[in-house]
Amino acid sequence: MSTTSSRAAIAIQLAVVAAMCVGQTDLAATADPPAATVSFRHEVAPLLVRRCLECHSGESVEGGLALDTPEGLAAGGDSGPVISDATATASLLWKRVDAEEMPPEHPLSAEEKAILARWIDAGAGWQGGMLDLFAVSTDSRAGRDWWSLQPLKLPQPPAVEAHASWARGPIDGFVLRGLERAGLSPAAQADPRTLLRRLFFDLIGLPPSTEQIDAFAADPSDKAYRAFVDDLLASSAYGERWGRHWLDVVRFGESDGFERNFQREHAWPYRDWVIDALNSDMPYDEFVRRQLIGDQTVAGREGAAATGFWTAGVHNTVVGGSERMKKLARQDEIEEVLGTIGQTFVGLTFNCARCHDHKFDPISQREYYQLASAISGLGHGERLIELPAEQEKLAALASTLGEMREDLAALESAARQRVLKARNASDPPRPAPPAAMARWEFEDSLDDSIGGLHGTAVGNARLEDGALVLDGQSFVETAPLDHDLSEKTIEAWIQLSSLDQGGGAAVSVETLDGQLFDAIVFGEREPRRWMTGSNGFSRSDSFAGSDEVGAADRPVHLAIVYRADGAIECFRDGIPYGQPTRPGPALTYEAGQSEVLFGLRHRPGGGNRFLSGRLLQAALYDRALDAEEVARAAASGSDHVSEDELIAVLTASEQESRARLQTAIAEAAASRKEQAGKASLRVYTLTPSGGETVQLLARGDPALASDVVSPGATAALSALTPDFGLPPDAAEAARRQQLAAWITSRDNPLFFRVIVNRIWHHHFGTGIVDTPSDFGFNGGRPSHPELLEFLASRFRDQGQSLKWLHREIVSSATYRQASDPRTTDSKAAGIDANNRLLWKGPVRRLEAESIRDSMLAVAGVLKSHAGGPGFKDVSITLNNGTTYYEPASVDDEACFYRTVYRFSPRGDRPALLESFDCPDPSSTAPKRSVTTTPLQSLSLLNNAFVLRLAELLADRVAADAGESLDAQVDHAWRRVIGRQPTAEERTLSRQLVAHHGLPALCRGLFNTTEFVVID
Amino acid sequence: MHPACRSRRDFFQWGTNGLAATALATLLHEEAQATKPTTTRTAAPHAKAKRAIQICLVGGLSHLDSFDHKPELTRLHGSTLKTDEEVDLFFGQMGLLRKEDWAFRPRGESGLMISDLFPEIAGHADDLTILRSMESKSANHTPALFLANSGFEFNGFPSMGSWVSYGLGVENESLPAYVVLNDERGAPNTGSSTWSSAFLPSSHQGVVLHGGDTPVRDLFPASPIDPAADRDTQAFIRAINALQTPAGDADAAIAARLESYELAARMQTSIPAVASLADESPATLEAYGVTNPATADMARRCLLGRRLLEEGVRFVQLFSGGPIAGTPRASWDAHENVKENHTAEAARIDRPVAALLADLKQRGMLDDTLVLFTTEFGRTPFAQSAADQVGPGRDHNRYGFTCWMAGAGCKPGIAVGSTDEIGWKAAERPIPWHDFHATVLHLFGIDHEQLTYYHNGIERRLTNVHGELVTEALA
Repeated sequence: MSTTSSRAAIAIQLAVVAAMCVGQTDLAATADPPAATVSFRHEVAPLLVRRCLECHSGESVEGGLALDTPEGLAAGGDSGPVISDATATASLLWKRVDAEEMPPEHPLSAEEKAILARWIDAGAGWQGGMLDLFAVSTDSRAGRDWWSLQPLKLPQPPAVEAHASWARGPIDGFVLRGLERAGLSPAAQADPRTLLRRLFFDLIGLPPSTEQIDAFAADPSDKAYRAFVDDLLASSAYGERWGRHWLDVVRFGESDGFERNFQREHAWPYRDWVIDALNSDMPYDEFVRRQLIGDQTVAGREGAAATGFWTAGVHNTVVGGSERMKKLARQDEIEEVLGTIGQTFVGLTFNCARCHDHKFDPISQREYYQLASAISGLGHGERLIELPAEQEKLAALASTLGEMREDLAALESAARQRVLKARNASDPPRPAPPAAMARWEFEDSLDDSIGGLHGTAVGNARLEDGALVLDGQSFVETAPLDHDLSEKTIEAWIQLSSLDQGGGAAVSVETLDGQLFDAIVFGEREPRRWMTGSNGFSRSDSFAGSDEVGAADRPVHLAIVYRADGAIECFRDGIPYGQPTRPGPALTYEAGQSEVLFGLRHRPGGGNRFLSGRLLQAALYDRALDAEEVARAAASGSDHVSEDELIAVLTASEQESRARLQTAIAEAAASRKEQAGKASLRVYTLTPSGGETVQLLARGDPALASDVVSPGATAALSALTPDFGLPPDAAEAARRQQLAAWITSRDNPLFFRVIVNRIWHHHFGTGIVDTPSDFGFNGGRPSHPELLEFLASRFRDQGQSLKWLHREIVSSATYRQASDPRTTDSKAAGIDANNRLLWKGPVRRLEAESIRDSMLAVAGVLKSHAGGPGFKDVSITLNNGTTYYEPASVDDEACFYRTVYRFSPRGDRPALLESFDCPDPSSTAPKRSVTTTPLQSLSLLNNAFVLRLAELLADRVAADAGESLDAQVDHAWRRVIGRQPTAEERTLSRQLVAHHGLPALCRGLFNTTEFVVID
Repeated sequence: MHPACRSRRDFFQWGTNGLAATALATLLHEEAQATKPTTTRTAAPHAKAKRAIQICLVGGLSHLDSFDHKPELTRLHGSTLKTDEEVDLFFGQMGLLRKEDWAFRPRGESGLMISDLFPEIAGHADDLTILRSMESKSANHTPALFLANSGFEFNGFPSMGSWVSYGLGVENESLPAYVVLNDERGAPNTGSSTWSSAFLPSSHQGVVLHGGDTPVRDLFPASPIDPAADRDTQAFIRAINALQTPAGDADAAIAARLESYELAARMQTSIPAVASLADESPATLEAYGVTNPATADMARRCLLGRRLLEEGVRFVQLFSGGPIAGTPRASWDAHENVKENHTAEAARIDRPVAALLADLKQRGMLDDTLVLFTTEFGRTPFAQSAADQVGPGRDHNRYGFTCWMAGAGCKPGIAVGSTDEIGWKAAERPIPWHDFHATVLHLFGIDHEQLTYYHNGIERRLTNVHGELVTEALA
């Protein structure tokens, strides 16, 4: 409300302009003179639409009364007929209205009542068919005639008469016309230093160097200015700057949000893709199309990275146990993503029509579900993208490695056999293990030696030396269980390749879809400890066992017993490990629907779910072993042969060959591992499932599903058909293709208006429409409607080049104006305080990122980034299944990259970023707030990063300026502020340096208004 | 006319018309590129509450064992709950009905039934307004905690403290308007998302006060700086910024920056002063339980809360409980064993909370200070165990639970609403969070429908499109 009011205040000043808003339909009934007859079309229908249909039309009508059709009117409602023969006063409709019971809380005006009375008196005739709530705009909602929904026009730029020498292009003509109407004059061009700093911060988010400022001051010609514009647009820093703006809108974050807030280690390819796409000036429709359907149109990394758009937002990974909760969570996710799509690309709040027709814009609830159907394949996940050239190198390395391993295995295998033969002859017999349901010896096959649960390797899992070797990226799956399994025991002899891993499982029993599982897991929630892994940690209470110390050096026996009453007990080497737990009931794994995995916690493979190490043997029992049985199983041992035993039976030359092979294998394995890292790329992105058949949900409640709907869009845009021509069960890919085609169509006016306005918003601080993601009824009205049309049309027809648009804007005289109050129209502040008419240049406080990046730049330590994983200035702590991100190491050189490359989890941002209004990526931020607070000042004074950068800047200044105090002071000012200090400033600076050194001055300069506020 | 003056004029004009005056002023400032740091504001004219302290029990307090006495449940102990509907549980295990683990007694003159779980809080029964028919949309911790805080079950919505800060501003410019004090065992899940200002300007974010030498992030230099150098550098900054601020006709944003450094300097004194308990008497420390290791953490925070409120902080939020999962539980999430879990958790907070009530009352602050005692949901009347057993734990229950309020404008010594006879679902006067929030804002003199902020197509409210005052709770 308050915003609306403040906007209203602006609107008063802009009355002349606002009156020109395209498509604004004024339906206010004319009060007089009262006519004897009444026009249904011109008086009654608009009245019904405006005051009645909100509740009395559509999917569900209040009181059973539909007032959108003559039939509905005739049929009446729950209370019976509403129109009686020929007189208003006898009609229920009139009585309720006259008693001001209807419309509730907002009675009709006397004039409106009069229209109604005359109409009923005249027989309540109806001309035309069904009334459409969405047909026309009213004073309380937008109809399909709403200005922003109309096809694009190309207005003629106004001819410039006054200020002809000031204007430089078409933009200026439109702006001048607005100023003239308000009786205002534009400001002169800003001085070269101010203009250049504005241009640099706008286009690349970094300040110009002192040399660049000097050069432009010496030659402030239009030609020199345009050369700077070209250079900046060609610089990679351009994409870093404008990519950040885009990432704000799509709320790109690198953790899940919600309860667990797990980090996404592989979400960064989307960020890099956005930056690269902007730098290459990809046509805007292609830029959007790739984000929506790049996985279908572009192979490999490019497509996978671009569709990271779909998974940039939050994702709830704890959705509860009941079906209702799961369905609701899914609907919530769909709404969140649909909201983002609508607001980002077309400035419409689709999300507001989930539970009912949109209250303000012509979007029906049915259309919401058509759109929901279009995106119903939405799925979060990781894709492993193979990079072909690198894959070939990898294959070659793997082949060499394989050969050497075979040689080593042959040598060791022979020796092993010698040891075992001798051992069997001399040792007392080991106890027989308890009878198992399945047992895997991993001797020479992955077969189950008892039943039929034979294993199959996935990835590089292989047998070697009587063990299953798991490399942390591979696993073994078995045939499905042949009978139901409830009570159970799982065991394995495990040797880990490192104790520092966490999350992998030796053995897992799971449902085929990976939704339910019980597993022997190492180090997931507590480093170095064993636990029972389970879906959503639902049965994973800590055993509170001791930290593992031996399992990297020798195989240990782990057994987890799952009792029918839900108790879970863990044993290590036959001895109880920690305390039993009883988190909940035991699960039953159904025959045919369940399987056993080795090396993977649960499907799908990915994340931290793989184990790295060797399994010497494993078994599955369909009962809960008791402690004595577990001890016996552990003592039954495996055929493991220790290193000492092996060496004892090798000849000297065999030992030498073995050592040589081992060294060579270690080296080859290291190269292979390195190459494997290069040969494929994990990308956190859209992993579409098959599209779902979507039903309209009354009140948005999954329990109230009604009509099946087909994928489609909204009819709000009359130039486009909302019908995708697809059946409700259409293939997922086709649905998204159609959605992408609808959004990016040349005939979609919002697609162009919205992006042009976004770019304008970032150049001037406020858009032509001041709500960049909402062009509906609740959004702002354009301050310069024809300018918006002009730019949107030209942008579309100029190949949709964003760089073209930037050039148009920054080349205008409007953009180049001074903002200094001494040079601006003295009347202007009183008439248009917020500069919506653009009578002066923009003044803005730098964004948090620019402040941080500028410090790095002026200190000369900003590192260029070639893309890849972000730098982490937070510590990441897993505490009982929840991830906490605490600001840390902000002043580490490893963090001296532009802020856009920061690993950006949801939750705690460093104080410097947070206090300067860097938004948390939990929701879209098309327009950042700008605050000034004491906490902000404290951060700029005291933050570790600022203090460190002040020292580095001081070093740089001292190195460049030499010993002279005056030279140092001047040099520091020029680097940080871009100009020489005044005499007074120099005196103050000298004093500070003389008493407390250069770092004190540098810290001080970072805190000056001129450093953070750009004219 | 000068931009800042314009805003001020609108501010006063609006102020005569109704509420959200301060919020409007903030926005106008912002649109004029002139957001002032934090302006001193007086509470709304009809406000009963000037400030609030909220104690959030993380994990889900069992209302059946604390504030909601159900004799029928006692009688039905061990029998099966007869229902046809699909019960919305988190773990999906529904055991037999289970009676309370603590005896209930009538307390004070009001005779309100409160169990022995909170013997000391029970001693203040006559000051409490117990809401026995709370209900939530989610039985899942994080969404439920978000709901309790922001009215929405998602990340990205402003918490109640942020809305209050946005609506009323600060009383004391040298302290934050909204302060958060976490359990020593850790922050609740999702950390700062819980006290986020979300789309409201970041000045309304909850500020976490830590123990130690730097109670607020960046309050003092991150690395040692000679105090004289620090002082002189700050003086230098003020001098240069004054030089860079055109005299007389300063842009309001520039003027605000100048002022923010003055306030920053004041915060460096005021925050350590308020955070130190050194000037509290031994008797006070004893009363709160600061000297007893079992209660020390909550006692310190309750006492700190009172000190912050006294110094003009608008909204203090205390969490009882840390991360949700884990063994042993560090929250009220008593799936395994209510008796064990709640005994341990209540022992940490009963005395400190009771002492806070007593202290506020004794200082006359309870008249205009609102005390809120909330939890994200209650616990089930049936045990979380096999269907034929009465296990010792209870699952999440979103259908009915208890919170209480006390102080400013609340009708004391009463219980509002009720659950059904076994304490499962809210029966009489159900109170969804939107109603609770509307009531809290009302006590602050704010009409919840008037306090709005435009974000992405909607004038957002704490109460979304809902919210009815719980008039029964009002004095």
